[in-house]
Formats: sequence, structure tokens, C-alpha cells
Amino acid sequence: MAGKRYLMNAGRTTKQGQQINIGKDSPEYLAITTTIFMNVDDMKEAAITAGTNVRVRSDNGEAVFLCKEGKIPAGIIFVAYGPPTCKLMGNTTDGTGMPTSKGWEVEVDPIA
Amino acid sequence: MIYWGGNPAECHPRHFTKYSLMQKGKFTPNGRKDRTMVLVDIRETPSAKAADLFLQIRPGKDFEMLSALRAIVKGQRVNEETVAETGLTVAQLQDLAAQMKAARFGIIFFGMGLSMTRGKHMNSAQILMLAAEMNAFTKFVAMPMRGHGNVTGADVVMRYTTGYPFGVNLCRGYPRFNPGEFSTVDLLVRGDNDACLVLGADPGATMPQPAIDHLARIPTITLDPKVTHTSRLSRVHITTAVTGISAPGTAYRMDEIPLPLRPALKSPYPTDEEVVRRIRQAVARRPAWLPGRNGKAAI
Repeated sequence: MAGKRYLMNAGRTTKQGQQINIGKDSPEYLAITTTIFMNVDDMKEAAITAGTNVRVRSDNGEAVFLCKEGKIPAGIIFVAYGPPTCKLMGNTTDGTGMPTSKGWEVEVDPIA
Repeated sequence: MIYWGGNPAECHPRHFTKYSLMQKGKFTPNGRKDRTMVLVDIRETPSAKAADLFLQIRPGKDFEMLSALRAIVKGQRVNEETVAETGLTVAQLQDLAAQMKAARFGIIFFGMGLSMTRGKHMNSAQILMLAAEMNAFTKFVAMPMRGHGNVTGADVVMRYTTGYPFGVNLCRGYPRFNPGEFSTVDLLVRGDNDACLVLGADPGATMPQPAIDHLARIPTITLDPKVTHTSRLSRVHITTAVTGISAPGTAYRMDEIPLPLRPALKSPYPTDEEVVRRIRQAVARRPAWLPGRNGKAAI
């Protein structure tokens, strides 16, 4: 990866938790887990328009997300855990049994 | 109370109201008014609205901040530039340490924002050391904020049956514990195991992709009330009753208090326990694969 890197932080949200119990095939669950939130200034710098798709790349893989503005510090991306984040997260656990599920470096590119 | 790397307002919605912040106690008759709540996180989550003090630190700087806080608590000098790298000032940490010492009973709830980010178990170790050292000044404890479902129950039962909470290998007939070697993610990513039984979990939607790919390669059996991402890559999915709704059982709270569950409904599906028991009985009827184990022919 050669472009600007952001720290991707995956987490839980209330709506995501509700949808897990309703069913992971629902369009709501799909929408929640395929949406990332970025800092407004970061989006301007990367020429990303709110509500458009972006390609997120890490050292382990890539996935497409819908990008929205969020109250997020610069340099950080927030996303709800789900199948797309599985493609990006680290494969090793550094001997702890716990994969690095937060704070991995990614690149974000708008999809024309 | 300090919440560190956790967002209970969204992830544990009843924690504030039913357990930690709002409840009235013998020594806190006014509930919320008798408590001070501090939130430490890298972003301003909805939990920040409930906090008296929100400390926003830079990502991956938990270990450094905890080290500095431990030093300040013990009256040692800290380097201002090193502390500044965490996104906070020495004065802010001194204020936090003073508030912690002034508490009659302090607690640190730490979440996955601490344990799943850079530093991982070393961050958790720092939190536990801080809580232990605070007992030189006042009563202080630390408690992890666990994930959804009965994660605590799995840890507790593994602990009292094998002596270890997770990552246990029973291949030699006795338990061996080694995270990173025997833990699920590592086994799957390396492709060490050639079969997998998944009980009440959905690794197909939560684990790294190479682990998911391996689950699809090997015979995977999933027991779950619902069809999950893991079901779709399994050879067999067995639908089971929902524990606590249509099946009895025990769930453990995050403070390890066991809660017996009484089902309100009946289910046409078997319980997890029944399915596992029947699999175990069927396996026991087969000849042992180790020579001389049961006197029958070995494979």
C-alpha cells in the first residue's frame, strides 16, 4: 500500500446487535456492516463524497463499503463488525489468541 | 468508575441503568449523584454523554497512558513529551489519579478497545496492575466488558473443568493451555485441525478470512438456532432450541454470577446439550483409534 493510511476501528453498535438477533440476512444488517464512517476533513482530502462507495484495502484484503461522515477523529475510520471486516483484519494473533480486530491500517479510495 | 476502551451505551445498554452507574446502593444512596464516571476512548462514543470526564486518547496509546498513570499513582516522575504522545497532558493524568485515590471504592471496566488493539494482553495486564496498585490507597477492582452472549460462561466452565479459560488442548488426555498455539483463530488460520464443531458462535462472520476459508475446507458442524454465515459453509447445520427462551440452561453475568434460565416457550428443536450428548454417545460406540484403548480393533 502506498497511499494515505487510516486506522480502521471495528466495533459494535446497538442497531447491529439488534440485527444479529433478527437475522444476518436482513438488508438492515447488510447495510450496517457495509457502511464506514470517516472524518469530514479526511473525506475531503481523499475526494470522497458522502453516501458513495469506497474501496478499502488492508495488507490482508479489500472490501467495498458505503462511506458516510461521522464524528470521528481525523485519521480514523469506524465500521461495525461483519463479514466485510473479516476480509481486512489481521490474520495473526501475536501469540495471544486474539486477532487484531481494531486499529489496523487501511487505504481508502473512492470508486468512480 | 472508569470505562476504558468500551462503549456500554451501545454495546451493554443495561449496564449503566441496572448494574453500574445509576443503581442505588448501601453506600451510594443517591445512585448516579454519588458516583463519578470517567470514559477513556479514542473517539467520542454515545457513552461519553454519560461521563463526568471524557479522556480522548490517540489510537494504540493505551499502554503508554496506563504506564504513565501507574507511575503518577506511585508518585514517580513522568516525561511530559512521552505523555503528550497519548493525546493527554500530565496535568490530566494527575487529576485522574487524584480522583481515583479519592474514591471510596473504584472500578475499572475495560473493553475490547483495550484488549483487541495494539498491545492486546499487555494493555489488559497494565489495567490489572493499576487496579492492584490502587489498593495501596483505596479499594479498587477491574472487570472486563465481555462480548455478546454467554462468553463469560464459556470461560468459567472451561476454567473449572480444565483450569484454563480458553485455548485448551486436550489431545494428550490432559489439558494444556497456550494462547496463540491452541486458540481457535490460530488453529484455523494455520489449518491445523481437520474438523470443527461450532456451538453458538458465528466465526464465519467474525474471524479473519483465512480462518473462514479453512472452515469451508474441512467438515464443519454448526449448532445454532438460526442459519448463520458459518452454517452456509458447514457440511451440517443442526437447528437447536434457543437457550433462555425455549431451552433451560445457565448464563453467566460479566461478574461471573450464574443465572439459571427457565424457558418460557417450547421448541420442536433439541437443546445444544442434547445434540452434543447424542453425538458423544454415537462417537463412544465407535472403536477407539488408539491401539489397546478399549480392546477393540484400532483404525
